[in-house]
Amino acid sequence: MSVSEIEAELSEDEHAGLELIRETGGIHQSDFWKELDVSSRKGSRIAEALVDAELIQRQEAVYQGHTTYFLEPAPRDLDFSLLMAGDMLSPFIGEEDIDARSDAFSQWVMNLAYDSR
Amino acid sequence: MAFEGLLNDPVIQKYLHELVGPTGMPVAAAPPDGEVTDEELAEQLDLELNAVRRALFILYENDLASYRRVRDEDSGWLTYLWTFHYDNIPENLESEMYRLLDALEARQDYEETNEFYLCEVCSIRFEFGEAMDFGFQCPECGSPLESMDNSMLVEAMETRISELREELNVDVTG
Repeated sequence: MSVSEIEAELSEDEHAGLELIRETGGIHQSDFWKELDVSSRKGSRIAEALVDAELIQRQEAVYQGHTTYFLEPAPRDLDFSLLMAGDMLSPFIGEEDIDARSDAFSQWVMNLAYDSR
Repeated sequence: MAFEGLLNDPVIQKYLHELVGPTGMPVAAAPPDGEVTDEELAEQLDLELNAVRRALFILYENDLASYRRVRDEDSGWLTYLWTFHYDNIPENLESEMYRLLDALEARQDYEETNEFYLCEVCSIRFEFGEAMDFGFQCPECGSPLESMDNSMLVEAMETRISELREELNVDVTG
């Protein structure tokens, strides 16, 4: 199942939780449920569901004198081969500007069309 | 050697090759654990010091390596101690995917809103306006310019755009 399919199956609360973790880049569980405006027990259940779906990672942490968890987004395992057209890598790598009409990109697009025939 | 998992990915190998070029590749392909000096690398890899330094600075510019300077107390010379940060590669490639998506969307729009003419001898393509200015004759060889069907290009771009959107979770309406 792709990430977007997994995300489509989340409940509304789980969605809000995932958004919060992604927006903050990482948050302690003791702040997490307060921010979401749910009970600590519910916050913990939401976090567990997101860990099980491998959308976030959870690590034990000491925060403000209490043992809690630190929740952060799971690194996304992206398919980098989408940068390739045939054996050619995206011509924008290492370039500061994107020129969608450059000769190098024309070549890349030709490769793409030739490769998908 | 560190980061072996990442370095097994052929796209990542290609990426590093694109950045540092063939002469820098021995440096980029074998990141050591911990700190290393440019001289140590040059000796281990049997490369010219300049080639090693060039590759290291390219990696540095792309957030893939950092250095700290230490002064040798006896000689007073500065030594550069380098650390490789290949854990940043996935993040870099993710942003390249977004850049590629932008370019594909712009290019698809251009391909769809223009008509093109081709000189089949020289393989040069002209926009409709240009072709008309040349009287539909190739300015290089004088052959007649033929109307060109670019639907294959547009379709290939369309497919890759939707694959990228799906992978990056980009909202289609956004």
